[in-house]
Amino acid sequence: MSVARLRETLGELSDLGHAEAIADWDSRVSMPPEGAEARSNVVATLTRIAHERFVSDEIGDMLDGLDGLEDETDAALVRLTRREWERARRVPGELAAELARAAGVSVAAWDKAKASSDFAAFAPHLERQLELKQRYIQCFPEVDTAYDVLLDEYEEGMTTAEVQRVFDRLKEVLVPLIASRAGDGVALQGPFPVDRQQQASRLVLDAFGWDPSTWRIDETPHPFASKPGLGDIRLTTHTDAGDLTSLFSTMHEFGHGVYEFDVDERLARTPLGRGASSALHESQSRTWENLVGRGRAFWRWFYPQLRPLFPDALGSVDEETFVRAVSAIRPGLIRGDADEATYGLHIILRFELEQELLAGTLAVRDLPETWNARMKQYLGVDVPDDAHGVLQDMHWSIGLLGYFPTYQLGNVISVQIWEVARRDLRELDEQFARGEFGQLREWLREHVYRHGSIYPPRELLRRVTGSELDPEPYLGYLQTKFA
Amino acid sequence: MTGSPFERLRERLAEVSDLTKAATLLLWDQRVMMPPGGAEARAEALATVSRLAQERFIDDEVGQLLQELRGLEESSDYDSFEASLIRTTRREYEKAVRVPPDLVGDMRRASALGLSAWGAAKEHSDFEQLRPHLEAQLELRHRYVACFPPADDTYDVLLDDYEPLMKTAEVRDVFEQLKQELVPLIEEIGDAGEIDDSFLHGDFDTATQRQLGIEIVRAFGYTDDEWRLDETAHPFMTTPGAGDIRLTSNFRPGDLSSLFATMHEFGHGVYEWGVDRALARTPLGSGVSLAVHESQSRTWENLVGRSRPFWRWFYPRLQQEFAAQLGTVDEEAFYRAVNKVQPSLIRIDADEVTYNMHIILRFELEQDLIGERLEVAALPEAWNARMSQYLGVDVPDAAHGVLQDMHWAGGALGYFPTYALGNVISVQIWERAVEDLGDLDERFGRGEFGDLRDWLREHLYSLGAKFTPQETIERVTGSRIDAKPYVRYLREKLAPQVA
Repeated sequence: MSVARLRETLGELSDLGHAEAIADWDSRVSMPPEGAEARSNVVATLTRIAHERFVSDEIGDMLDGLDGLEDETDAALVRLTRREWERARRVPGELAAELARAAGVSVAAWDKAKASSDFAAFAPHLERQLELKQRYIQCFPEVDTAYDVLLDEYEEGMTTAEVQRVFDRLKEVLVPLIASRAGDGVALQGPFPVDRQQQASRLVLDAFGWDPSTWRIDETPHPFASKPGLGDIRLTTHTDAGDLTSLFSTMHEFGHGVYEFDVDERLARTPLGRGASSALHESQSRTWENLVGRGRAFWRWFYPQLRPLFPDALGSVDEETFVRAVSAIRPGLIRGDADEATYGLHIILRFELEQELLAGTLAVRDLPETWNARMKQYLGVDVPDDAHGVLQDMHWSIGLLGYFPTYQLGNVISVQIWEVARRDLRELDEQFARGEFGQLREWLREHVYRHGSIYPPRELLRRVTGSELDPEPYLGYLQTKFA
Repeated sequence: MTGSPFERLRERLAEVSDLTKAATLLLWDQRVMMPPGGAEARAEALATVSRLAQERFIDDEVGQLLQELRGLEESSDYDSFEASLIRTTRREYEKAVRVPPDLVGDMRRASALGLSAWGAAKEHSDFEQLRPHLEAQLELRHRYVACFPPADDTYDVLLDDYEPLMKTAEVRDVFEQLKQELVPLIEEIGDAGEIDDSFLHGDFDTATQRQLGIEIVRAFGYTDDEWRLDETAHPFMTTPGAGDIRLTSNFRPGDLSSLFATMHEFGHGVYEWGVDRALARTPLGSGVSLAVHESQSRTWENLVGRSRPFWRWFYPRLQQEFAAQLGTVDEEAFYRAVNKVQPSLIRIDADEVTYNMHIILRFELEQDLIGERLEVAALPEAWNARMSQYLGVDVPDAAHGVLQDMHWAGGALGYFPTYALGNVISVQIWERAVEDLGDLDERFGRGEFGDLRDWLREHLYSLGAKFTPQETIERVTGSRIDAKPYVRYLREKLAPQVA
């Protein structure tokens, strides 16, 4: 049995994934709304065919014939393919199709429910998602916590207990930190004209190393990054004249994009050709958004360019005030808008509620009330309506349960990796202050990005940082930053 | 496997349609959105998705289902969805299974290679760069033709891919008629002296052109819920799914051709838009043939968009936006200018009359090539001689002659005739519409096009591909394809240009 045949088969599946990625990107960026129904059929067919081909005995036979390969990449390919094949085989095609269909229906319901802030309209869909997730979990061997099965899908080898340990420690430090620092720093006042913000984003992307022959950026209500195929990286952002968040969301999505862009080309059209896990991915979006993009050195370079673009809003705001403003701790309602410190609590809240929903200790109908109570408890804010509360995120509607924790793990990991980079690279701040980001990017490419999914996330983290998942560097970073 | 054989056939066809639509979207994205660096990965993805669609269609199971469904087909009304679907699928299936997958792969590869060679050859105006590719294409076409039972005319087999069941002999009859009428008409017009169209060449802001194009097609029926319009070097229309119609146009600052390109592509789009939604995800769910499709692009571009009443409605708006260029040009002068007949080198820039001669020339050369009466090496010379004979123009170089179109490089032999057939059919259908609706001029003059669109939808678009192209034309017009109405239309319209 040859690896070449396995690669060929996986290449076809990757091509179907490419088509799906375009179908998805297009439906969010360019599709006329009436095309939605036909599109859902196309996506369902692509998904079903890919699933059918992937779970075939033929792939199992190929994998069986390929044990004990010497080449590291080939061995990794077999390992990862086997893991995914075994997971996929456990899920009956019917259930996989049902999950896909339910996601399509309930994301539309969520959209409507959010627009009218009507949780009751969304509740049956969430119940359906929970029911399907329970059926999904039952396909797997029994584990300590049902939630482990979901987590493992996005973050190989991660357990609920480990997340719990990290999150408990975060809570311990963050709650008092937020209480003592909330309200420091002025709030910026717009307007920030949309075209000017887009201009500013392009300047930043140019300096980070974006290239229009392989990248593009568009506007969507919810920013995301996508790599349909090699040499084709697509970011989206949402630009609102009321604030400057588009700038940070652009840097965030750049982080996702650059990770994918810099994966070794030889891994293309295989399951190894993408970032190692959701948390590792998020660690890189957060690196470029926060560790770089909210850093002092970055603004030393960029504020003199940004300020003249918005003379009305920023004419009287000096650099120091601006830097404090874009990092200010301000407990709020919306996760997507949260600052670096309060963000973690938004995630911890979701992590807890997801587990309670799955365990059946929390009924869907009681969710809004519990949500609001916990927002008050953790962040001291009053939720005025469900659109600004439990309905704010689309994740649950598309069946992403167990996904939220990876966002916060990403924050934690970002600083673990960052500390090593700063140890290896001298004078990063001086470079940033000159608008030079190439050394950092090259270091990240060498140590993280190029490996794609060759190593399981835990092993990659160990290789890069020499340690396990550890919240202390992240907490140290926040405590220093907000001292 | 569950469900009746008919349901199973539908399921299979829906799957093939979904894969085809995925490929359609990949192509659209490639031309409109994709960063150039993604080209290689996209080629792989497209190849895989297209191959899967083909494999799933020519699968033995489809053949077995079609066998099992003979009874249902015979017992169902000819016009019924069931009979139409089985009949049409059988025809396409029987064609598709004759072609070995290896040959399909060879043709696809040769097409990609030929197209990229064409780009370079055209740029350097060097026919020699393309010649080996054309020879390879011809060789492949011979292998392709050999997959089918012998036809009266070898060319029939090629034509059938673009215009199902159309025969070379019938096209030849129609084109002979056109030639007899148009060659003298072109001469008469040439003798009548120049029409001034200098004001059509200037500096026309492209964003404004786009805006005006949108205004026009909105009046025709374009909505943001179901349509979009983008820019590409070569305008096209595509539908990645029901309720999702995508046009592109080419907005050039030097002239106003984008307005006509936009209307042309709208015509293709509105045909797809009007297909009965119940036919979606089946082989019946799109326009019936290239010629009938072209009849509709030409209807909206020429019969509507180059008509006097259309400009009565829209010229004031155009003049307002381009006051500097058109402020002193009156409506009559503008109307004449956009209908000016003048022999020229390039097919896609040709006027309504000479356009057909460009096609006839290609149709004749294609037959000579496939009939081995003309060597590829001698093609440029034959081209130039016939351009001189039919249009009285001298071809300065291959880029403005035999290399101008990409079709042959991509292996599309037999495609060109459908363009001129479209012109012919457009007026046949138009005459029937006017018969039913009465004079449309006043409505157009007020910017009202809904009656025409609804009539076309009811009588033509909604049918999709339920019937053969010939049956479709006969159902709409009551007659077979016939050049007379088209020639009559041209003669009447151009009477003022004739000496």
